[in-house]
Amino acid sequence: MENAWIIPLFPLLSFLFLIFFGKRLKEASAYIGILLSLASFVYSLLVLFERFTSPTHKAESVWLTIGDVQLTAGFEVNQLNALMLVIVSLVSFLVHTYSKGYMHGDERFHVYYAYLGLFTFAMLGLVLSPNLLQTYIFWELVGLGSFLLIGFYFYKEEAKKAAKKAFIMTRIGDVGLLIGMILLFWQVGSFEYDEIFAAVEAGAVSSTMITLTAILIFIGAVGKSGQFPLHTWLPDAMEGPTPVSALIHAATMVAAGVYLVASLFPLFTASETALMTVAIIGAFTAIFAASIGLVQKDIKRVLAYSTVSQLGYMMLALGSAGYVAGVFHLMTHAFFKALLFLAAGSVIHAVHTQDIEKMGGLWKKLRVTGPLFLIGTLAISGVPLFSGFFSKDEILIAAWAHGNTVLFWLAVIAAFFTAFYMFRLFFMVFSGESRSDMKHVKESPSVMTVPMMVLAILAVVAGYVNTPWFGTFLGDWLTEGNPALGHGHIEGPSWIMIVATVVSLLGIFLAWLIYSKRSLSRDWLGASTLYTILYNKYYIDELYELTVLKVTKGLSLILRFIETFIVEGIVKGVSGAVSGLGHLGSRFQSGQIQRYGAVAFVGLAILIVVFAVTGGYLK
Amino acid sequence: MSSVPLSAYLALGLILFCIGLYGALTKRNIIIVLISIELMLNAANINLVAFSKFGVMPSITGQIFALFVMAVAAAEVAVGVAILIALYRNRNTVNIDEVNTLKH
Amino acid sequence: MNFAYLSILVFSPLLGIIALLFVPKAKESVIKTVGFLATLPALVLSLMAYFQYRSGSSLERLDEMVNWIQFGNPNRLGELFSIKYELGVDGFSLIMLVLTAILSTLAAIASMYIKKEWKGYFMLFLLLEVGMLGVFAAENLILFFIFFEITLIPTFFLIGKWGYFEKEKAAFSFLIYNGLGSAVLLIVIMVLFARTGTSNIEALTSILAADSSSLVLSEGGKMGLLIAMLIAFGVKLPIFPLHSWMVRVHVQASPSVVMLHAGILLKIGAYGIIRFGMGIFPEQFQDLAVLIAVLGVVNLLYGAFLALVQTDFKMVLAYSSISHMGIVLIGLGALNEAGIQGAIFQVVSHGLIAALLFFLVGVFYERLQTSNIPNLGGLAKGMPITAGFLLAGAMASLGMPGMSGFVSEFMAFLGLFREMPVLAAVGALGIILTAVYLLRAVLGITYGKAHREFAGITDLRKAEWVPALVLLGIIVLIGVYPSVLTEPLTSTLETIMLGIGG
Repeated sequence: MENAWIIPLFPLLSFLFLIFFGKRLKEASAYIGILLSLASFVYSLLVLFERFTSPTHKAESVWLTIGDVQLTAGFEVNQLNALMLVIVSLVSFLVHTYSKGYMHGDERFHVYYAYLGLFTFAMLGLVLSPNLLQTYIFWELVGLGSFLLIGFYFYKEEAKKAAKKAFIMTRIGDVGLLIGMILLFWQVGSFEYDEIFAAVEAGAVSSTMITLTAILIFIGAVGKSGQFPLHTWLPDAMEGPTPVSALIHAATMVAAGVYLVASLFPLFTASETALMTVAIIGAFTAIFAASIGLVQKDIKRVLAYSTVSQLGYMMLALGSAGYVAGVFHLMTHAFFKALLFLAAGSVIHAVHTQDIEKMGGLWKKLRVTGPLFLIGTLAISGVPLFSGFFSKDEILIAAWAHGNTVLFWLAVIAAFFTAFYMFRLFFMVFSGESRSDMKHVKESPSVMTVPMMVLAILAVVAGYVNTPWFGTFLGDWLTEGNPALGHGHIEGPSWIMIVATVVSLLGIFLAWLIYSKRSLSRDWLGASTLYTILYNKYYIDELYELTVLKVTKGLSLILRFIETFIVEGIVKGVSGAVSGLGHLGSRFQSGQIQRYGAVAFVGLAILIVVFAVTGGYLK
Repeated sequence: MSSVPLSAYLALGLILFCIGLYGALTKRNIIIVLISIELMLNAANINLVAFSKFGVMPSITGQIFALFVMAVAAAEVAVGVAILIALYRNRNTVNIDEVNTLKH
Repeated sequence: MNFAYLSILVFSPLLGIIALLFVPKAKESVIKTVGFLATLPALVLSLMAYFQYRSGSSLERLDEMVNWIQFGNPNRLGELFSIKYELGVDGFSLIMLVLTAILSTLAAIASMYIKKEWKGYFMLFLLLEVGMLGVFAAENLILFFIFFEITLIPTFFLIGKWGYFEKEKAAFSFLIYNGLGSAVLLIVIMVLFARTGTSNIEALTSILAADSSSLVLSEGGKMGLLIAMLIAFGVKLPIFPLHSWMVRVHVQASPSVVMLHAGILLKIGAYGIIRFGMGIFPEQFQDLAVLIAVLGVVNLLYGAFLALVQTDFKMVLAYSSISHMGIVLIGLGALNEAGIQGAIFQVVSHGLIAALLFFLVGVFYERLQTSNIPNLGGLAKGMPITAGFLLAGAMASLGMPGMSGFVSEFMAFLGLFREMPVLAAVGALGIILTAVYLLRAVLGITYGKAHREFAGITDLRKAEWVPALVLLGIIVLIGVYPSVLTEPLTSTLETIMLGIGG
């Protein structure tokens, strides 16, 4: 565990090596990437196992000295970090492997792997950070990795826009985080998590300040995790290669916001207002994104909105003081959503389209991908015995137990939506007949299917580490020795589990009726206003276009006006005045020698008179 | 012989100087201007000679200076008339207000 | 240390000028090689001084002093009213010396794009280097001013002769603004010299610090001098609204000149404010701190907003320089260790980043004859490496962690948030805007569809790799391991903090 710092260095090495020498290696680059990410994963597993038996390890050294203040950098292995390490390195390893098949034939293959390495490095660095400053550093770096990978197909205009949007939207959140972090620093005198928590506990920070900083930091999480109102970048980010969507925009980076709130959990629990904000934003995003997901036609966009919605769930859990529930769902979601994305990638790889209306009847053709996709769908829908069921249940219980009744019911409705749109997706893609010319559909190679199988297994079994039936190992372990994080298990009424099950089954049933059996009209919403609003994502993008962008642009133009007319105008005025004065002076230079003589004579005469009057001296 | 007082010489010098000045400042013809300048120089000469006789310390210096002035004036006229001729050849004019090319 | 180490360092480019005298006019490659080689001695010497300082040797051993000009009767006035030729460095100026030497060498490499009259170009170029090195090594104000003026004249010709279409106009507006600036500076220096009888910086500092009862200068007088000094250096920095000359220069001068101009010459303004403004008038500076911070935020946002609507990439970078100089002012306005250190970091960091970006502008311009963003696009296909460097430069500029821009931005804001949180929060908007305008410009150039076919376009040549890689390397080094700068700065910072009583 003392050497945990080496984990992020493997992918960094991969990045550096591939960016410099990758061009010569061509597709052999993949092996380097895969090997080094595997090394990270194995090491992470070792660290996790070691962490089961030994206490938190933390090591730091001075990074930056400002006067008397010393800012440190280092790493920390606590329960949450160790868990995240394994999740991140595992998904990263699987995506590295999968990409070898998916990206086959791309001329910038090595660049892709280099970027993957950079991202994995940043993400692993993020989860190892022992202080806020270091978190922020890696936080930005994962943003960079995400930006590069979204814009990987740089020649596509959409990819360029999406990359730019992702970077800027998250940057808005990041500034919130930066401000919150700095304010907190001047209150506490340190960026260290431990010292912040100690100061908060000791009451050294005023409660308004706690609320303010917590909410500012939460804005950072909102940006990164695609929560309302900064969510619009995440669906657009689907312009990147699909494995990237699985790694970054489903399993790891977008979960960083949740991770951030989780690692600052004691700060948030110190302020009821902050917690409430987190919960409300989370619940609202959950249902808001789920409702948009109901009508989207792009397979990846449906999954993207589902991600946004699930992240909202996690936020709701944390905002309801359900630390374990949030982290637990973070973990299960990482597995099943990565699985779904990889399976979707496999589908896209086979049919070369992302439009689900052009798909159909693929169940028979994709004999491996189909069942895997189904497992993922069952898990996310919260069908009993799959992992999503347990973690979602935990969240609902946490919300109920915390007394957020309204939010609880919102979450239940969102769960219904989730089950419905996921199975809508599943039925439209896999059931029925082929809706267009799909003769040459081939199953993906095993380098792609094997990683999916691993994830599928995890999507089924990951839930059993924390169940009300067999014991809450995960929860107990996560909160062990740290009462600020709440209890390992929150008791809730058993009807919640039944409600959750019924709701998800109902959603599945309805989807089946409409999209598979077709006893209800497929156009159940028809061309109604509601449909248009949902299909256009509540016109949020357009709203931003009309307000924020227009205002910024307007301000710029006004300033340009000031620049050209006022600033330059003053300059012109000054230079005009000078040259005007010059012209005035040159008027006297008539070139008439006699006039000069006259002037000289008059001047002399005046001088003499003056001298005569004053007696020879000028005062 | 010594009945003419100093003030008379000085008055004559002053009158000559003023006539010269007036001519130098108002006449258009460069020749007249040159002659006017000569008048002013000669006014100064009269003063020099007068003071060499009636000054506080009468001596020959004043008269020698007057001789100097004459020599310089002669040289000046020579140069001035040379420029004038050159000007006349080039511009076909001897009017001073048309000679302002240095201004531009 | 050897005799006259600093003098040799400062005047070593003169050797190149002499050597160039004997090279025939038309021998392009010889001239370029000589010009490049002539920048090396200063580089080697400054780096040696830096590493010796890092390994613990004292900088005072480098000090030099020779009697030079004496006014009045030496027997009566003694040391007063004498101007000595004194050179010396502290941590801050040593860093600036190293930066100057590095950028000069790289700019000499980038001078391969110069198309005509190489001989005159390199002579002026090397003279400019002498001036810049001298500015940072001068120990008294009069010597500082002389070197300051030496930078002015070569720059004027370098802009006016080797620039783009409106180069003369740019050169004249450069000369007029900076001429006025130096006139104001001269007045300040002369008043100080006349009042105190010395122009040595340390002596001035201690005289004015001891002058609590305003015998030497009245309170108002000090304040007036400080404001005049801020205006003089504010032209150079530039502070809004004194900036319009700088935009023109950045757009019209050739890339190698802009590298030095944006990299070093603008920084002289910041150096002057920190070293003289803050060093000599610490108390008055404190009274002006709020004003300076406000000016900083104005600079930051004003530059950013204007950069947002420019179509010429050079204009974007020019306004981005204004915006980034705002961060220097923000740091100075904070008046605490974090802020001042951030400001100094920003000075160094922006020097490197601006040099990198303008060098890349030169690379693009050389191949495409345009820097107009709507005419470009999709260049990552034809020139992937250049595009990569450009993106990296933009990331550094917008404050991506792991690069120098982040460290400086972070410290400057850290400082300001302590003193004026609301103002700092407004300024933080600039961080977002920086990302917006830089990505808009850079992605516009390298991403997307190519508007026209850039057939047969070549990526970075070998000689072009050097500046790009070296600059990016240093940027990353500072970003990852900021101690390379913090350690030499420690004593300078302590002196400043002592002055402002912080």
